Amino acid sequence: MKVTIPNLGNLASIAGKSLLSNLGHEVILPPSNTKRTLDLGVRYAPEYCCLPLKIVLGNFIEALEKGADTIIMVGGWGPCRFGYYAEIQRMILKSLGYKFEMIVLEVPRGNLIRILRYVNLLRNKQSLSSLINAGEIAWSKVVAIEELEKEALRIRPRENIKGETSRILKKGLSLIDNTNSIGEIERIKQQIIDDFNKIKVKKNKELIKVKLVGEFYVALEPFVNHNIEEKLGYLGVEVERGVSIKPWITSVFSLNFLKVGYQKEKNPIEKAANPYLPQSVGGEGQPTVGNVVLASEKGFDGAIQVVPFTCMPEIVAETVNKKVSEDLDFPVLTLIFDEQTGEEGLNTRLEAFIDLLKSKKYDRHLTARRLAS
Amino acid sequence: MGNLKIGIPQALLYYEYFPLWKNFLESLGAEVIISGPTTKEILDLGVKSAISEICFPVKVFYGHVMSLKDRVDYLFIPRMVCVEKGAYFCPKFLGLPDMVKSSLSSLPPLIEPTIDIRKSATSFKNSFLAVGKLISNNSKKIYQSFYEAQKSFHLYLQSKENELNPEIININQQYSTKLLQNNMKNPLNIALLGHSYLVYDAFINLNLISKLKKTKINVLTAEMVRKQDIERKLKRLHKPIFWTLSKKIVGSAFYFLEKRIDGIIHLTSFECGEDSMIGELIRQESLKYPTVAYTEFVFDEHTGEAGIDTRTEAFLDMIIRRKRYESNHT
Ligand code: SF4
Ligand code: SF4
Repeated sequence: MKVTIPNLGNLASIAGKSLLSNLGHEVILPPSNTKRTLDLGVRYAPEYCCLPLKIVLGNFIEALEKGADTIIMVGGWGPCRFGYYAEIQRMILKSLGYKFEMIVLEVPRGNLIRILRYVNLLRNKQSLSSLINAGEIAWSKVVAIEELEKEALRIRPRENIKGETSRILKKGLSLIDNTNSIGEIERIKQQIIDDFNKIKVKKNKELIKVKLVGEFYVALEPFVNHNIEEKLGYLGVEVERGVSIKPWITSVFSLNFLKVGYQKEKNPIEKAANPYLPQSVGGEGQPTVGNVVLASEKGFDGAIQVVPFTCMPEIVAETVNKKVSEDLDFPVLTLIFDEQTGEEGLNTRLEAFIDLLKSKKYDRHLTARRLAS
Repeated sequence: MGNLKIGIPQALLYYEYFPLWKNFLESLGAEVIISGPTTKEILDLGVKSAISEICFPVKVFYGHVMSLKDRVDYLFIPRMVCVEKGAYFCPKFLGLPDMVKSSLSSLPPLIEPTIDIRKSATSFKNSFLAVGKLISNNSKKIYQSFYEAQKSFHLYLQSKENELNPEIININQQYSTKLLQNNMKNPLNIALLGHSYLVYDAFINLNLISKLKKTKINVLTAEMVRKQDIERKLKRLHKPIFWTLSKKIVGSAFYFLEKRIDGIIHLTSFECGEDSMIGELIRQESLKYPTVAYTEFVFDEHTGEAGIDTRTEAFLDMIIRRKRYESNHT
């Protein structure tokens, strides 16, 4: 069985791969996302479906070309389109004549025989303890990757030599990729954080702080968002991510009983969204609103919402955010991504938005000083 | 409390539920004011007040809200979340009252019951009873109004199902050439499938139904297919659909394909999340039925009447040509 999974930032190619190869599978990762990936997806996916479906379809085509015969994909049951992605992709790939098996990970509903078969295929005759071990290693990798990326977002706008942070991050990620022990992952993480802290930083720089919210895939996949986090870093902006894969993994696999740390955080986001959007609308819709409210309370200068064109939950959130932004006098920039989104237009919009945040911040300082004197 | 004026926008789920909503509110003594059919002004109002990325039907809904808001004491905009196990409404319905309140100012208060049968407090019945309490304090009357409204709603749904020509129901599922020949003399059977707020809003779909009827076409809709037939057809899917509205569209499309009616037109709206996915399901299934013509019409605020007319004519021509050819060669 030669298995493949879709690209998702550094998460799939490191943690996902680790899980599967520890289960004894031969893993064939799709090539990194390129223009070709996108073109393939656009050519074969339904015209009006959301961008992530198209790119992931492109991933699958490129992985099948490389010899994969089994696709692992995540499923779900609504209310947004994501839960039906795998099914549509399976149909399209079949109609293109590819021979493969698709394993969809989701909370079972109905067809139990199919699910059991999937589980058996995945488990690959491994003992329960090695299954758990593989899971734990992958989970530690997820935690480490997210933490390092988060640190990088903090350091990058402060670095003296451009690119230093990204270089160290890259080194760390590749070390994590190459180890298979939890202790080692932990050690690498610490070492990289130490390295980050040794980076020479600019003094007394008051930074603009921005919360990055929006649809999960576009927020986490640099090819799609044109490396927005790095771009902002180089513009001197400290970014904090509003999305994480951790709650998502636990909900997809119904592991909520694990009570992982983030869950304590989750409720405040919903609570913050409540006055504006008391209902979960699928995807990241409600958290997007909640995160914007919280960001304004926590002294951020603004928020950027990334939205795939026609995304259902994020369009609800965008509509609601207009009001949030007005009520709280808190700037929110909504960026819509589709296959035509060009880098230059994006740069211009980002720069304009950051300029706005800077002048707002400056005005606030002036007023504060005037009040003080 | 006198005659409370409650406004219902004639858009979106109005086309699914209006007999229920209207009867219930009226029998409690409220005066129900409906915004009326979509017009150019309504459409323009909606397009102006909604964000541009949102799907066309929600823009139309906004227009209806705008045209109602100064004429009523309350606006009735329920939050429809879940009315059956395993399926939801689309995220925009889940957040509809919030979106409306966020984008439009100087609105009258909203009556916005949440309907989500996964929790008993928000079951169909309990949500309606709560709405009733806003209008009347006679709980017996509220109960009665609810049950009667529900009864008349079911009768309405049934009467829709009864509109389906028995000949179509009885068509053998096996391909029958005899039937084709017979049909040459009969009017064509064409199904218009899609969200009911597209199919039944004559302004949005540029009068498609009445145009087809004028050319002696027998127009079929999803409402005419019995619920159990829809459910049965859906069983064929490799993965169940989790959207209530789309289930009806896909199930009835499969039904009409199997009945080998002459053609299916899938009405979709630009930027609709559900349509982009189920369009692919229906299209792929239709490939298995080469005798049933299938096409998709996409609507948005820029769709022109001339374009739709041309496409309709071309579609009908194709069906007629194909039928001639087939009856000559059998
Ligand atoms: S969250 Fe948006 S982009 Fe992602 S699958 Fe759902 S509708 Fe598509
Ligand atoms: S189902 Fe489609 S058309 Fe209807 S509200 Fe949702 S996205 Fe819009």
